[in-house]
Amino acid sequence: MIKRTTLRLLSPALLVLMMVLSSLGLSAQEIQGDAANGKSLFNSQCAACHKLDKKVVGPALGDVTQRRDLEWLTAWIKNNQELRESGDADAIAIFEEYNGSVMPAFPGLSDQDVMDILTYTIEGSKPKEPTNGGDGTTVVVAEEDNSTLLYILGALLLFMVVLLARVKNTLKSVQGEATTSMLEDANVFTRTALNNPKVVTVLTIVVAIVFFQQLYVNLMAVNVEEGYQPHQPIKFSHKLHAGDNQIDCNYCHSGARKSKHSNIPSANVCMNCHMYIQEGPKYGTEEISKIYAAVGFNPETGSYIEDYEQKPIKWVRIHKLPDLAYFNHAQHVSAGQVECQACHGPIEEMEEVYQYSPLTMGWCINCHRETKVQVETNDYYEEMHAKLKEKYGADADITVEMIGGLECGKCHY
Amino acid sequence: MAENKKYWRGISELENPELTQTLSEQEFPSQIPADEFLGNEDNLDRTHTSRRDFLKYMGFSTAAATLAACESPVYESLPYVVGPEEIIPGIANYYASSYYDGHDYASILIKTREGRPIKIENNKEAALNGGANTRVHASVLNLYDSTRLQKPVVKGQESTWSALDQGVAEGLKAAEAAGKQVVVLTSSVLSPSQKALIKKFGAAYSNFRHVSFDPISYSQKLDAWQEATGKRALPLYNFANANAIVSVGADFLGDWIGQSVSSDYAQNRKPGKDMSRHLQFEAGMSLTGSNADKRYKVKASQYGAVLVNIYNEIASAKGMTTMSGSDIMKAEAKAAAKELLAAGKNGLIVCGGNSKANEHLCIAINAMLSNTETTLSYDNRSYFRQGDEKAMQALIADMKAGKVGAVISHNLNPAYILSGNADFAEAYKKVACSVAVTQKYDETAQISTYVAAEHHYCESWGDFAPADGHYSLQQPTIKPLFSTRQFEVSLMAWAGISGTYHDFIKGNWTSILGGNDWSQALHDGVFVKSSAVADEMAADAEMEAGVSVDVASAAATALAMAKKAPAMEINFTQMTGMGVGTIANNPWLLEFPDPISRVSWDNYLSVAAADAAEMGLKNWNESNGALNGSTVNITVNGKVLENVPVFIQPGQTIGTASLAVGYGRYGAGEVADKVGVNAFALMGMDHQAAAEISAVADSKHEFACIQLAHTMMGRDIVKEVNLDTYLNEDAQNGHDGWNEPPIFETYKGPLVGDDVNLWDDFDHETGHMWNMSIDLNLCNGCGACVIACHAENNVPVVGKDEMRKHRDMHWLRIDRYYSSDTTEDTAEAEGLSGIDMYANMEVPSESPEVFFQPVMCQHCNHAPCETVCPVAATSHSAEGTNHMTYNRCIGTRYCANNCPYKVRRFNWFQYHDNTVGMFKENYAMNDDLGRMVLNPDVTVRSRGVMEKCSMCIQRTQLGKLEAKKRGEKLKDGQVQTACQSACDTGAIVFGDVNDKDSKVFALKQDKRMYHLLGSVGTQPSVFYQVKVRNTKA
Repeated sequence: MIKRTTLRLLSPALLVLMMVLSSLGLSAQEIQGDAANGKSLFNSQCAACHKLDKKVVGPALGDVTQRRDLEWLTAWIKNNQELRESGDADAIAIFEEYNGSVMPAFPGLSDQDVMDILTYTIEGSKPKEPTNGGDGTTVVVAEEDNSTLLYILGALLLFMVVLLARVKNTLKSVQGEATTSMLEDANVFTRTALNNPKVVTVLTIVVAIVFFQQLYVNLMAVNVEEGYQPHQPIKFSHKLHAGDNQIDCNYCHSGARKSKHSNIPSANVCMNCHMYIQEGPKYGTEEISKIYAAVGFNPETGSYIEDYEQKPIKWVRIHKLPDLAYFNHAQHVSAGQVECQACHGPIEEMEEVYQYSPLTMGWCINCHRETKVQVETNDYYEEMHAKLKEKYGADADITVEMIGGLECGKCHY
Repeated sequence: MAENKKYWRGISELENPELTQTLSEQEFPSQIPADEFLGNEDNLDRTHTSRRDFLKYMGFSTAAATLAACESPVYESLPYVVGPEEIIPGIANYYASSYYDGHDYASILIKTREGRPIKIENNKEAALNGGANTRVHASVLNLYDSTRLQKPVVKGQESTWSALDQGVAEGLKAAEAAGKQVVVLTSSVLSPSQKALIKKFGAAYSNFRHVSFDPISYSQKLDAWQEATGKRALPLYNFANANAIVSVGADFLGDWIGQSVSSDYAQNRKPGKDMSRHLQFEAGMSLTGSNADKRYKVKASQYGAVLVNIYNEIASAKGMTTMSGSDIMKAEAKAAAKELLAAGKNGLIVCGGNSKANEHLCIAINAMLSNTETTLSYDNRSYFRQGDEKAMQALIADMKAGKVGAVISHNLNPAYILSGNADFAEAYKKVACSVAVTQKYDETAQISTYVAAEHHYCESWGDFAPADGHYSLQQPTIKPLFSTRQFEVSLMAWAGISGTYHDFIKGNWTSILGGNDWSQALHDGVFVKSSAVADEMAADAEMEAGVSVDVASAAATALAMAKKAPAMEINFTQMTGMGVGTIANNPWLLEFPDPISRVSWDNYLSVAAADAAEMGLKNWNESNGALNGSTVNITVNGKVLENVPVFIQPGQTIGTASLAVGYGRYGAGEVADKVGVNAFALMGMDHQAAAEISAVADSKHEFACIQLAHTMMGRDIVKEVNLDTYLNEDAQNGHDGWNEPPIFETYKGPLVGDDVNLWDDFDHETGHMWNMSIDLNLCNGCGACVIACHAENNVPVVGKDEMRKHRDMHWLRIDRYYSSDTTEDTAEAEGLSGIDMYANMEVPSESPEVFFQPVMCQHCNHAPCETVCPVAATSHSAEGTNHMTYNRCIGTRYCANNCPYKVRRFNWFQYHDNTVGMFKENYAMNDDLGRMVLNPDVTVRSRGVMEKCSMCIQRTQLGKLEAKKRGEKLKDGQVQTACQSACDTGAIVFGDVNDKDSKVFALKQDKRMYHLLGSVGTQPSVFYQVKVRNTKA
């Protein structure tokens, strides 16, 4: 919240600043700080409202040092309200130009921090050099691939077989026998084998075992969608949001704590952040603009389009239990204190979500057998716990099974 | 000689000997007619497809189909674009609202899931009509009726609102220009805002009239009150204070004057020293009569004579002048008067029917008892019934004379209600601009020029002032599904009033609220103003002090009426599930078995057994238990209703017959149309009439009656005791107490059921132990629980043919038993024994006592069903309930056969997603719109699966979860089953018996507690409380 308003204020101010001070031509030599520190500060403190090359909530900051002098900028950034109250005409003009949106004060930033940020505004807006492995770019390390090695080995084996066949034929011709081709050899071998009832019996048994084992495995896998990873209409990355940016699962999936459903967030929840974050690190504006298309938001003007016909985003459902099974998220997340990852796997590492668990009844039951109930911390269980202690001993771990978690009717009704 | 003996192979052969012969001749048809279905044999020979080819293709396609089926479909999951703040998917929201359809009124809560209304609950905070009846509970289904009007209709064609508005405006203008009347015709208007709006609308016309009319007219009753007190309104009755209740024909627990009194009545029905005594005089067996301590049979035209006799008894006791009486029910009247005198100001007498004289007598008797402000209130009047039949008759005359230019009807279906008055339809057609505001293309809409399609009440705003000081609000809980418009909005459009109706109500309520918070009132749904008289509703004159009744002339009228009592009299009644048929197109209600007759999907003429025998009418059962009945033609005032099925009703007064209104529709919708016969076609303004009944020879009507045994045949299925015994004798003393538990003879000596045990017991001490108590004294058989269960648990509707085969799916049924004149004692005295005794015990008494017993799965702790299931689909829970796992069930039906209570229900067909034949009647499960009413927390069962009461496990699980989320103990009352929360008398109490502070724990210790069929040793979790009847020796 604070961040948002901050940026809103900074931007109008800076635009005016740009226009008024551009004539002054602040020289770049005065500003020399640590661009790397500047970048991280910019990203954490300013990026919600400012970009270097584009006006967002506040003005573009790429050339701000060209427009304003360092002293004024430092004063503005640290506490723009004070600056305005002191009667600084430029400051008031900017404030008014951006419709009085307030940029918060940053008294916590030192002069050096401000210098670093400004350095970054200069450095960051220079055209990027086409180098790899620089500070910002990531090097993609190819996964080790063993297949080539296998192909080589295979070829070697084949070569050996051919070699041995030729050796055999050479020996035969030396002895004056007729040479046989490899095909004929194979033929003879197969016939001999197939004429042997023992071989046939063993073979039949092996084939039957393999067949039925495969049949069983495949039948049991019908409708088990473990690993199901459909393409989604928006290339949303849980790795970026939940992993890198550490956004709490419950921020978006707010129903998980309260309801049986852990809902897919409605697009207005996305907009809480993406009203300001209009560009992603991987796909730029392409994916984020799909949210805008759904809700009817114009990133250029930063406002919602009136009378827009909103279109829902058609996500593809990954986790689906059959209707005959009743599953309640709140029971597990709130009452049971089970981590999301226990069933959904390392979501924070998934670029594209897949079904981590088999979601079969056996899998549910296993967990109910092993998982301990929060009997100590939840007063609901107080009386029950006292009785359970009598029954299973004071030190026994109370599992879900012990409080009736394996009864049919607990999930099927 | 032996060779002369003839043996029949069955009853059917005896009845129809030719049939057997024809069948036996055709036992082996000479040739299998293969050509018929294979087509031309020559062609068949010339085809190239050999049998082997066929099998190959067959094999291939089967394999291909199997493989293709392995691929799972892709499901889309669409979140809201902008999520509504108040909706969390998966969590139900409740909105307080009100129901009013022109006949029934109730304060309710509407449960919504993801924005869809799915269930009606009682508004327990409402002081008036907080207990919804069966119809109100079922009304949510009508929202999803696809035969509702989806667009306005102009001259029989679907049209647009602008076209309709233009047409109506022109029609109104033309009426005004021609100096003709403009009439708004409604049922009783309970809404102050609607009343104000009608007034505003009418102000623009020089010749405007607002006519109110009730489907079941109480106009003369209202006139009586106007004469007596100066105000044309009925009093509010307070049955909670009534210790002696005498009802002369008033079915106040069923359908009477609109005020719901069942919860008040139940307060004094708890057994104890101050238990109330209820005497009922009536013609046909009503719900109220079946709950009475003593019921007397009398013709409806003689109600007045009974009242005169009661008046005389009380007047003479008080030393006042008496009137000349008659001999009709003299002794019984004396007994009733004695009760009333003993109760004094806690006595109450009420009467049914539409008679001014009778009501005057009631007013006079109540005045003598000085019960004003104890059991009835002159200061606080109710407005449920305001209809004026004189105004209605005048309107018909004016329409006929061409004096009416425009009629707008709302909340009333006059063409159906007045179908007995041939003049109405004829006169109505003469009105140039006839506008019907209705949800259905009903009987009136079909003859109207304009049909303004109306909202369902779940889509509407509204307000109500059902009685002085009592207000309630109605709020929409879903966006309108179709292009419909509520009546008030239409009226505003036609009157040129701008703004929304919501704002109009709010404006109107500033004076009602008097500074109180609107949002709070909307949240509560009800608003009570102390000592306030609803000025908005007051009809006209100021109320006179006291009451003045001309008893002499009333008595004279009543006696004259009684003298003229016809030999055969027909009473027009209402069935619990149908009322007057306003929401008839509702499969839940049509399938609801009437509490008294247990017949569904029909109305019928109830006659006394003696009359039936005289007229040669009979009821008989087929070999599969299905009930058939003769039919009759009924003539009333020259109007004839043909082929009315006859049901022989114990307790029906000889010389009377009863027929329920609300059936025989042709504009209600696909499900209700052509079900039953239209009793309105015979009915005038009175609730009874002289009738001629003639049997139709060789007639047969097929009933769907789900109860076969009408008496208990000496068994104690419903245990009963009279009040004196209850108060003075031991419940259990080891041999002849009035509630002895069954004793088992074992090798250890005699033991009670709990100690005789073949099985290992579950641990029922740890955690919850859900039990349910059903008080047979408080249950009046109204059936609200049955519909609530229907809605909560996605219970399917099976249709009449299946009901006839006793394949009803109700998880909760209410068994009804009659007493028999033969008991084991009387049989012994008469020297009857064995089969003769039981045959006699099977016959209900002509004046029976009636017992109601709700029966659902008893959740036996030693359940016979569990031990026989071959796949363990039904199993026991540590919480005392019996679980049914549908996906595990393979449909052997062993469990149902082994269940002593017969509460398990088998899905013989697929009742959902099935639009074949009779099953499409269940639109709640068979079309996309209807399915919106399904409870998403309960599985929809498929064919071949057994199902039964789960004790609302979805509710217990939710209650436990909410307690865990709060981190506190689950308190008594936080979990309620659907039947419990629908029961406004408190007969059903559910809870955890391991919680020693719970109500159900106390009830389990009560000396009235017993288990149904305790002798089978099933140790059920459901138990009953012995019925105590306040009968005196």
